[in-house]
Amino acid sequence: MSQNQYIERFKKGWKIFIQNPLGKTGVTLLIIFMLMAISSFFIPLIDPMYDPMTGIDPLIKTSTGPSMQHFLGTDNVGRDLFAQLMEGAKIAFIVGLSSAFISIVLGTVIGMISGYAGGMTDIILMRTADIIMIMPSLVILLILASLFGQFNIWIIVFIIAIMRWPAVSRIIRSQTLSLKSRPFIEASKVAGASNLRIIFRHIMPNVLPLAFLYMTFRVTSAILVEAALSFLGFGDPSQVSWGMMLQWVWKSGHMFQAPYWMIPPGLCISLLTLSFYMLGRAMDEVLDPRLRKEEEGR
Amino acid sequence: MTLLNVENLSVGYKTKKGLLKAVNDVSFSIEQGRSLGFVGESGCGKTTIGMTLMGLLPDNASILQGDIYFNDSNLSNFDDKQWRDFRGREISMIFQAAMNAMNPVIRVDEQIIEAIETHNPEKSKSEINEKVKNLFNLVDIPQDRLKDYPHQYSGGMKQRAIIAMALACNPKLIIADEPTTALDVIVQDQILKEMNKIQKELNTSVVFISHDIAVVADVCEDICVMYGGQIVEKGKREEVFKTPRHPYTKILLESYLSLDSDKNIKVPEIQKAPDLITFTGNCSFAASCNICSKKCKSHTPGWVNMSETHQAFCFEDALNKDNNDR
Amino acid sequence: MTDNEKNPIPVMELKGVSKEYCSKPSFFSRTSTCVIAMNNINLKIRKGEIFGLVGQSGSGKTTTGRLIVKLENPSKGIIKLNGEPVSDIEGKALKAYRSKVQMIFQDPYQSLNPYLSISETIIEPLIVNKIGDDLSREQKVIETLDVVGLSPGREYYNRYPHQLSGGQRQRVAIARAIVLDPEFIVADEPTSMLDATIAIQLFQLLKQIRKKYNMAFLFITHNLAAAKYLCDRIAVIHNGVIVETGSTNVVIKYPQHPYTKKLIETHPGFNF
Repeated sequence: MSQNQYIERFKKGWKIFIQNPLGKTGVTLLIIFMLMAISSFFIPLIDPMYDPMTGIDPLIKTSTGPSMQHFLGTDNVGRDLFAQLMEGAKIAFIVGLSSAFISIVLGTVIGMISGYAGGMTDIILMRTADIIMIMPSLVILLILASLFGQFNIWIIVFIIAIMRWPAVSRIIRSQTLSLKSRPFIEASKVAGASNLRIIFRHIMPNVLPLAFLYMTFRVTSAILVEAALSFLGFGDPSQVSWGMMLQWVWKSGHMFQAPYWMIPPGLCISLLTLSFYMLGRAMDEVLDPRLRKEEEGR
Repeated sequence: MTLLNVENLSVGYKTKKGLLKAVNDVSFSIEQGRSLGFVGESGCGKTTIGMTLMGLLPDNASILQGDIYFNDSNLSNFDDKQWRDFRGREISMIFQAAMNAMNPVIRVDEQIIEAIETHNPEKSKSEINEKVKNLFNLVDIPQDRLKDYPHQYSGGMKQRAIIAMALACNPKLIIADEPTTALDVIVQDQILKEMNKIQKELNTSVVFISHDIAVVADVCEDICVMYGGQIVEKGKREEVFKTPRHPYTKILLESYLSLDSDKNIKVPEIQKAPDLITFTGNCSFAASCNICSKKCKSHTPGWVNMSETHQAFCFEDALNKDNNDR
Repeated sequence: MTDNEKNPIPVMELKGVSKEYCSKPSFFSRTSTCVIAMNNINLKIRKGEIFGLVGQSGSGKTTTGRLIVKLENPSKGIIKLNGEPVSDIEGKALKAYRSKVQMIFQDPYQSLNPYLSISETIIEPLIVNKIGDDLSREQKVIETLDVVGLSPGREYYNRYPHQLSGGQRQRVAIARAIVLDPEFIVADEPTSMLDATIAIQLFQLLKQIRKKYNMAFLFITHNLAAAKYLCDRIAVIHNGVIVETGSTNVVIKYPQHPYTKKLIETHPGFNF
């Protein structure tokens, strides 16, 4: 029956969310990008010539500007840029969301356990988190990439997640600390509930909203890291991400000659991260009742 | 001499779900030097009345109708500037969490000096210091504690300092909203005795708001009992507490446990107070009232007079029937 | 009469129980300062008795309750349930103890998990102690809801705390405490945050429950009159020390200790 409660809260939260100008803009942008990502599945089916990776237009031998057949033009090998942009959206979502999801799951579980258990467990976990937090993730990734060669996209996702969970765990830990001494938690203890049960049944539902909020921030940083990696040449060469597109434009020397090639992926990276950020800010208002515009009287 | 005369006051709060009528057509008056107590349970509107009398209603609240006559002024029309001049000088307030109302980094005497200076810029420093000494004498705080910081005071002393601050500018009326709720019973007793003494010495009027009827009975000569935004009974304390007439007052008194209460009394349950946003009835107690009849739904109750000073908001025949049945 | 019948074993006993909170010596202060919350407390509560612990804030009364339900452990002394010491129990034994000793918390707005429905809150002790199956647990919850006055139980089953008033929430807290049929319940100022007209209903409910189930209660309060209404015997606690104990009527009519006398003297009454 907790589904009912979640639905009720979701509806209430949605109303507040959608009235917030940041929420509105963020959601609109996000929907545009989602359509882009979805369409990337269909484009190669319409015409294999438009496949972002392999679809070479036989008539074109160099990078060309926007035209009727190629909305944004082609890259230096003759592949359609528009299709690549759509594909990039798909990759951005996959990387962003999966990496954010893994880091949230890790961060939440570790944060809850650390906050609730206290003592040595807390100290060990949080010091580990501190150490990981101070490591510059991009540099680490570059070092690992140069040691082990180019990574598969999923390894990149995983490593980003590993580098990012500490920030989440700190927040979740503080939230857990404040919940720990609340009467309803003590009541569960008195009823005989085990620590595990208290953490997952009582503390988790109360920290989950916060975790979701932070997920939006994780997404932006994951997308940026992947883009940076790809741009620097350490990304997964079999995936066409926006960062990869930027790498190609740079590698092929077209950086300043082909604005129609360079600008769209850069713009997309900025706009997508911006839309997730706006989502996060709007969520702030949903989660923190004090930020809401109307209050009820006494 | 009538100091304060409130007529047909209604106060509402704007909420997401609609207008919440916290105070519904309330009228009362206070003479100079007398004390009036407002008793009732949470949500009855008594705190809202206190805030209205100080011009401290939050942004989403407003006076819907009615007049507040204080000496020659009508407070219901006051703007911010008028309130800032008025507050502290003519009417001052002792809040619920008063102990947290003092600035922790400023010495106690300086805070009181500041209060006096704000309203009496023409007074000299020595005059003000003298005044502060007198105030502390009045509230029985030893002179050598004047220069302490608030955290060095005990709970009871802090409350007495707050009372001193409220008295600093010789207000004609003090509004005390649950001033002793957070205090231990022994300290509470001291503070109430203090308030009684001060009131008599300075001839100040007091509006005392509390959910604890025994505390109100200790300080106030006149009582208003409130329920669901309406006053249901008013009169002298002996009248209201010894011979209550309104069904709610009776239950309220029965629910109150004193050291002489009968161990085996059974008090009937009352329903939750009506939702003040959607309530459109005539009597807010109707849903829980044991003498409620069809008349209560179709007619507005009136003031039934038991004496010159004692009235209940009901219908005469219903009250008489209730008396006979009991 | 056997010796056992003449002096029955108290269901709950505290013997020489003390609790202090000490700050650890640190870089800034070599010595640790200790606050003594409870000082050599002795209590004996009989089966089916409602025992009142009366004290003002800071007297140690809440700490006493917390030690009894083992949210914290005493610094010194022994706590016994039915004559068995329970100081160091863990694991299964602790769980068994918990099923016999329950608590009703003070704040109805904080003692229920806002994300759980009423039934989920009340059913938890049954699930945790592996009692019954889904069907019998549901039955038990509905029965308990009816006992605490949230009738019909079916209607309140799926509601959430925010849909209930303070008094109703506290009834849920009571339901959660009695669902395991415990032998002893600590009621920590269960009505101090509620209006008088609601509080009196809850007191009447607690009396009914005691009568029906013969459970013993430790009723913690700062209000002497409430203790008089509810309790068979009371102990007055001040600064961590019990200053007077006895049958309620006797203590209130013939107080011996100056502190008790002061409490009675200053108790608000209609003295005009």
